[in-house]
Amino acid sequence: MKGYQKYFLNKLSWFLITFVFAFLLNFILPRLMPGDPVAAIVSRVAQGMSNTSGVQAIYEQYARLFGTNRPIHEQFFIYIGNVARGDFGFSISQYPRTVFDVIRSSIMWTIALQFPAIIVGWLIGNTLGALAAYLKGGFDKILMPVSIFVSNFPAFGMAVILMVIFGVALEWFPTSGGYGFDLIPEFSWKFIRSVISHYQLPFWSIVLIAIGGQAIGMRSMAIYELNADYVKYARFMGIKDRKIIGYVFRNAMLPQITGLALSIGTMVGGALVAEIVFSYPGLGYTILNGVMGQDYPLISATTLIITIMVLSANFLIEILYGIIDPRIKAAQAD
Amino acid sequence: MKHTFRQVFRSGKFVVGFSIFVAILLIVFIYPLIVPDPPLAIIAQGTFFEPGIYVNAYDSIGASKYTLNLEGAAAKRIASKLKAEDRLAMKDWLVAYGIAEADIDIENTEQLLDLWAKNYDSKAKVAGMTNAKRNYYVRLNTSLQGLLATEAAVIAAKNVETGALEEKGKIAQSEYVNVGQVANVRFLPLGTDNFGRDVLTELVAAARVSLQIGFVAGIIATLIGLTLGLLAGYIGGRVDDIIMFFTNLFTVIPSFVMLILISFSIGQEHRGAFTVAMVIGFTSWVWTTRAVRAQVISLRNRDHVNLSKLSGHSIVYIILNDILPYIASYVVMALILQISSGILAEAGLSILGLGPRTTDVPTLGLMMNWAMIYQAHILGKWWAYFPVLITIALITFSMNLMNTGLDQVFNPALRD
Amino acid sequence: MDMGKTILEVNELTTRYITRFGESVYAVDHVSLKVEEGKSLGIAGESGCGKSTLALSLMGYYFPPLHYMSGAILIDGRNISGMNPDDVRKLILGKEIAYIPQAAMNALNPTQKVIRFIEDVIQVHDYGATKRDIYERARALFEKLGLPASVLEKYPVELSGGMKQRTVIAISVLLSPKVLIADEPSSALDVTSQKMVIKMFRQLMNDGLIGSLIFITHELPLLYNVTDDIMVMYAGQIVERANAKAAVFDPLHPYSKGLMGSIIVPEEGLRNVKLAAIPGVPPNLKNPPSGCRFAERCKYVTPECRVTTVNLREIEDGRTYRCIFSENELREAYQNG
Repeated sequence: MKGYQKYFLNKLSWFLITFVFAFLLNFILPRLMPGDPVAAIVSRVAQGMSNTSGVQAIYEQYARLFGTNRPIHEQFFIYIGNVARGDFGFSISQYPRTVFDVIRSSIMWTIALQFPAIIVGWLIGNTLGALAAYLKGGFDKILMPVSIFVSNFPAFGMAVILMVIFGVALEWFPTSGGYGFDLIPEFSWKFIRSVISHYQLPFWSIVLIAIGGQAIGMRSMAIYELNADYVKYARFMGIKDRKIIGYVFRNAMLPQITGLALSIGTMVGGALVAEIVFSYPGLGYTILNGVMGQDYPLISATTLIITIMVLSANFLIEILYGIIDPRIKAAQAD
Repeated sequence: MKHTFRQVFRSGKFVVGFSIFVAILLIVFIYPLIVPDPPLAIIAQGTFFEPGIYVNAYDSIGASKYTLNLEGAAAKRIASKLKAEDRLAMKDWLVAYGIAEADIDIENTEQLLDLWAKNYDSKAKVAGMTNAKRNYYVRLNTSLQGLLATEAAVIAAKNVETGALEEKGKIAQSEYVNVGQVANVRFLPLGTDNFGRDVLTELVAAARVSLQIGFVAGIIATLIGLTLGLLAGYIGGRVDDIIMFFTNLFTVIPSFVMLILISFSIGQEHRGAFTVAMVIGFTSWVWTTRAVRAQVISLRNRDHVNLSKLSGHSIVYIILNDILPYIASYVVMALILQISSGILAEAGLSILGLGPRTTDVPTLGLMMNWAMIYQAHILGKWWAYFPVLITIALITFSMNLMNTGLDQVFNPALRD
Repeated sequence: MDMGKTILEVNELTTRYITRFGESVYAVDHVSLKVEEGKSLGIAGESGCGKSTLALSLMGYYFPPLHYMSGAILIDGRNISGMNPDDVRKLILGKEIAYIPQAAMNALNPTQKVIRFIEDVIQVHDYGATKRDIYERARALFEKLGLPASVLEKYPVELSGGMKQRTVIAISVLLSPKVLIADEPSSALDVTSQKMVIKMFRQLMNDGLIGSLIFITHELPLLYNVTDDIMVMYAGQIVERANAKAAVFDPLHPYSKGLMGSIIVPEEGLRNVKLAAIPGVPPNLKNPPSGCRFAERCKYVTPECRVTTVNLREIEDGRTYRCIFSENELREAYQNG
């Protein structure tokens, strides 16, 4: 267990360091950029106002709101304190709602959409990739170019095509929103049915994109493992092929778990865009609204939340990986 | 070197990818020479004109006429106005009105129109008919007026002095103009977009700009990644630790989030295509750094490198002569991947409304964004978004195919 | 030389690789050999001469791209080349004939404990064996071979290179095979580990844990020390067979001569290039040359060599070689340089 403890501590400290760094970036980046965000906001809010002192008053009010009238290190500590309390200030575009409130109402949609979609995509992709490596021949010849094509297809492209085919042409599923526009969120069969049918298109568009990339990775990994020396040795010791395939896929699957950890950031990015195409009420759509409404506090908080989600997912995967792959323990013990 | 090229071009995947890519490049560079119109010029009044050949109607009147007696011309003219579903609807009305179904032959146009003219009455009450349906029949009835007419159409012009209409000429039903003789004909293979721009011209320009963005972003990312990877891998020690610290950091912090944050901070009016490309480049060097570092570490203690060290060559000399040539294939592969992911990143940013500012150049992402905002996909205006998607997919697909091909040549384990 | 009981007899075995493009590469071409009980045979040759393929082919269990063409493999009188593959797997592999792969360092599944693999192996042949019995059996054997029993509960990644190698050898002889085929079992090891591995092979023979040994390597000093007889392969064919001493110090075939000459005087730092001492490369086996396959590279080549099919000739006590020249002609030629 010693090796694993070392591994765990190593991963944990990495998680904390990246967390601090992500936090810092989120604080510093907007403040490094040319132009004064507060001035930009004020010039928008105060459009058409000719009264200079009125504009000045608004400016000061916003400067107080964002704390930009204080020295930068003070701002930083105030920011930490606020974030720790979940206080991200007011949303500009959806005033008087707070940023916390906006994010709270969208974050569950994103988690409920992306988490299962990425896992399902990962599982299907790996199974297909493993089959392609094992069966070779026609299956491989068709699956591989298709996978390369699909995985290079832009995420929003897949979303648009699914929407046009299944939403517009066949009318099987609704094309936008998280639930019927005539419903209010409640715990009823009608509402749940509506949510499920709205869920299909965004879900499958994320799954399809994930499948392609994972299938390619798994195929290379499995081909590499199938040619490994232990396969030949096990065969010559009389072990059944089916059992050997079991060894191979377990070994090929394990590195794919770290692959998932590394690509989860990219996948979330693509999935956010898919949300936008379907006007799904998650964080992606929130970002779009933030961009449209020049809503600084909202964008900043959303990117921070997404970063934290990705970091945590990453950390959990790494921890899990350390438990199931004995190679990790050995590597740490060296 | 020659041998390597020959091997690379023997890989089917590489050749297919390379051919697609070269074809795209050729189109992007040759098309503007043939159609020199500015890509953002608004030519259409109205949105989403269908693809097709647009012949100037005014010029056609003045063009020389040729009489062609073609069989079936009248039938085609009728068919274009009286569609199969209209015929069925007419039958429905007639049956509902009380005509025996057996007496109606919807294929026999003359008989059908005759029956219709005799029986149709816009005021007649037909049981169970909605208002919308009734209005449809009124419209249909109007459009059928003169459908079977055979006399020529009269062209008239206003007399400048009297203001009265004067007959200037006649156009018989069998008269044709030669498209080549009509002064103004415009071929719009992909119709127009929501602003009234020629989609094809815009698409070619957008592909060019997107490729440029991809190249700039890819080259920046590869240069940063290569430099950091070489330093970390070759020098090692403290330098390696520091570089790897930042590399690991940016591996877990999603680059897409960084892109959003930076692009938003820059602000719409400062975001030119080149700026966007730079931002993408500066947020995507991480993979290349890792790959290059791993390669360099495996090379660092090879005999030829040690020999070079013993001969007293400088670090720069060793890196240029003993390391770079060995990782060149990896760097090329990394560059190709970076270019294609740069193009995708631009498209993703533009969908979010964080792409280059919209006033100077089109990009593939911006075209997609406009099409989405104007609901082209819901309205069935496929030409506004589908060609854009296909172009993006073809570019990235061809580049990845080249990459897979290269990988198989340089990584024999994957060959089978 | 007393004639012991023949334990492995191979008659005219031919196998081929079928490439992706459907071409055939005859990597083992009409090979015949005999190994007696308690004896060991070494197989030498450059890389690409077919010696590793011969090792694979002797197992009687083929998977693509390698395919069986013709010939017979008899172990203790039983012909295994005509048997149904699944019977070979259950009845022969591991039990009658066992194999140690070229890169034994990676021969064990990295994510499986050693004992789990041993369980899988034993259960193929002895379905009812309980885990407890298997553990006891493995522990006894490991201790007999000087390996700590704690190895059983470890993952391969936790073992050193030499330890991994010896573990693989121990697993291969779990079921006391009549024939053990070792393909370059020591080439990746340091000198100390090499010595231990060689010692282990000697012990296996002496203790009767294996009936006979076929040892494949390009390191001739090793062959000379470990084996009784040496067979030299070139382009998929046997070109010479002799007792170890004669094969190393008095080779007859010009190829063997070149091979031995390049090795007897080992030069420091040239371990990997020593075979370049014979100029040229082995022929392409997709369409092997008619006549002598070594003709292209032979110093003593005559026009006749390129057209005549050369058969193995047998001289005293089972010594054979494949050349159109007689023993005396060859010796004379060597004397004159």
